[in-house]
Amino acid sequence: MRRIIFVFILYSLFLIPVQAQSNVTYELKVGTTAENAILSDFPESYTGEKVNIRIQYSAFSIQQTDSLDFIFANEELPLEDRFASVYSYTDESETAWTVWRSLKEPKNRKLQVRTRNGRDAFEQYLHETLDVHRSHGWIWWVMAALALALALLAVCMQIIQRRKEKSLSSVEQETLRRQRMGMRRHYISQAYLWVLLLVLYAPIALIAVFSFTNSKILGNWTGFSLDLYANLFTGQADAGLNSAIWYTVVIALVAAVCSTILGTLAAIGIYNMRARSRKMVSLLNSVPMINPDIITGISLFLLFVALGMSQGLATVCIAHVVFCTPYVVLSVLPRLSRMNPNTYEAALDLGATPAQALRMVMLPELWPGMLSGFILALTLSVDDFGVTFFTKGSGGLETLSTFIYSDARKGGLTPELRPLFTIILLVMLTVLIYINFRNKKQEEE
Amino acid sequence: MNKIIQIASSRRTWAWPYILFMGLFVVLPLILVGVYALTDIDGNFTLRNFAKFFTHSEAIQTFLYSVLIAVFNTVICLLIGYPAAYIMAQEDFKTPKVMAMLFILPMWINFLLRTVATVELFNMCGLPLGEGALLFGLCYDYLPFMIYPIYNTLQKMDNSLVEAAQDLGANRWQSFWKVIVPLSMPGVYSGVVMVFMPTVSTFAIAELLTHNNIKLFGSLIQDYITTTDLLNYGAVLSLVLLIIIALTSFFGDHDDTGGEKGGLV
Repeated sequence: MRRIIFVFILYSLFLIPVQAQSNVTYELKVGTTAENAILSDFPESYTGEKVNIRIQYSAFSIQQTDSLDFIFANEELPLEDRFASVYSYTDESETAWTVWRSLKEPKNRKLQVRTRNGRDAFEQYLHETLDVHRSHGWIWWVMAALALALALLAVCMQIIQRRKEKSLSSVEQETLRRQRMGMRRHYISQAYLWVLLLVLYAPIALIAVFSFTNSKILGNWTGFSLDLYANLFTGQADAGLNSAIWYTVVIALVAAVCSTILGTLAAIGIYNMRARSRKMVSLLNSVPMINPDIITGISLFLLFVALGMSQGLATVCIAHVVFCTPYVVLSVLPRLSRMNPNTYEAALDLGATPAQALRMVMLPELWPGMLSGFILALTLSVDDFGVTFFTKGSGGLETLSTFIYSDARKGGLTPELRPLFTIILLVMLTVLIYINFRNKKQEEE
Repeated sequence: MNKIIQIASSRRTWAWPYILFMGLFVVLPLILVGVYALTDIDGNFTLRNFAKFFTHSEAIQTFLYSVLIAVFNTVICLLIGYPAAYIMAQEDFKTPKVMAMLFILPMWINFLLRTVATVELFNMCGLPLGEGALLFGLCYDYLPFMIYPIYNTLQKMDNSLVEAAQDLGANRWQSFWKVIVPLSMPGVYSGVVMVFMPTVSTFAIAELLTHNNIKLFGSLIQDYITTTDLLNYGAVLSLVLLIIIALTSFFGDHDDTGGEKGGLV
């Protein structure tokens, strides 16, 4: 019971600020003079003089709509031009509003105003130009009252509890107090972590949720649809995206394979070195790990310029091997120190060639380290942006990262990226859960 | 032939290809940054690029601003990340592995895409883009790098030391400040380094999060290095960044929890 109340109080504490602050979209719905017309009924040849603006706030899936009339000044103009008066506000203050118009889509004849300066500025604009005040809707008041009532209830319960405890002995009181302290600390720390995770996952959830709608713009819900997934798998997505996916996979595989081979050999070599040279090489090994992307990228860029190499697939692969190999070395080294160093020598003494000894004695011992190095190299390569950006040259080679970057700079994001990353997230989640389970099983055994 | 086999079987030599590779693609490029910084377009020695940096107020301001942002971000990450790591490392915390996993998982989504999604989230909530959004985005991107090393050191810490402190009369607060915090310093150091270094050199994110209004040092370097005529000046800026990185990694030399990234898989 206490737990439920605790959750309720937490909820209500969140609710008030969220209700007061959050507004997801401003919808400017077009209506006739007398009544609010349903959007789809709105005729192309509309000649009325009023447009009804509905401002929608939503929090916790409760939607609340305020509505006001917006009178366009120039009735003779065609509809689109009259809407332009809304746009003109946009253009004058440049960063103030970005207006997305989906009027031309027959299903969805509404204007959405997105603000970059926040609701206050929008309201100020409405207030100053239209003399409209926004008041809280009844849901807000209900929620606020509910929250207040809950908080009061909690306080009352606390007081009653205290009263009851007064009859207990002082020792019992002390243990109860201790218990309560522990519980409180427990709840607070749990709540802290979960709030943190909630914030951390909010953008990702946004991507995942909006992968199930076919709107061009992230954040604009146009109904459930699996079109984006279909486009992704049937190759109907943007051609640039397809080639970016392809290049990303090729580069990651080449880089991971090369760096695994190079790194494993290097780890064996380093392990068998004398202490001093081992320290030197380890230092060299850590340089690409310490170097930030941009420095690795720029220095390699300068090298390729100095050597007169034309930049493209080959240079990107080399660059990726450079920053992946140290991690392979680091994941193979612990394996080496765990195996018996004499087995290799024994194999040589028994007549094996170094290659045979490597293949039949070393590899079986080393492969888990190599595998985790390989996977790490794959993820590092797929995730890399900085190094790829400087070494890809200008021949039109794009990986997913650079594709997203150039896409985002153009203003829009190719919609098919959303399902792609939702799938990647799910795959990663499954792999991690699997690894976790396997570790648990191993521990139990 | 025998000699070749002998060389190959002395496993020390197996690292040679790697050393050669690293020499060519890590050491030489870094030297080249210095060389480019000290030459002009025609390849003649000059100090003019350096002189330009010290009189170029935009570059210096951007540089200081970037360092400031990085410091802020590191402090915020520490303030948010330390309690999280501490809570996860408590003995009575039941699912530390799952929690650690949950904190690391977002890093597998491309950071640019996450940044774009953050921008959309800010738009949806009606929050303005700008400095606040920049700090939020940076903190969001690098928080796991802070939590993970601190969690690691806290978890490995000998809990009997805390108990000893409490037996000797320290209250919770005292045992936290005098025992736990000093013992977790290696993790804090490496967390600070792992957050500060990528933040100070960040580029691309800032432009997206601030709608091109704020430029960080990384973006400035990018602008110059990709302009052919100004490549040498770009090299100077990179060198400045490199010095900052070198200084920071000296600061982080105390850490004995190396290979944090290697432990993620």
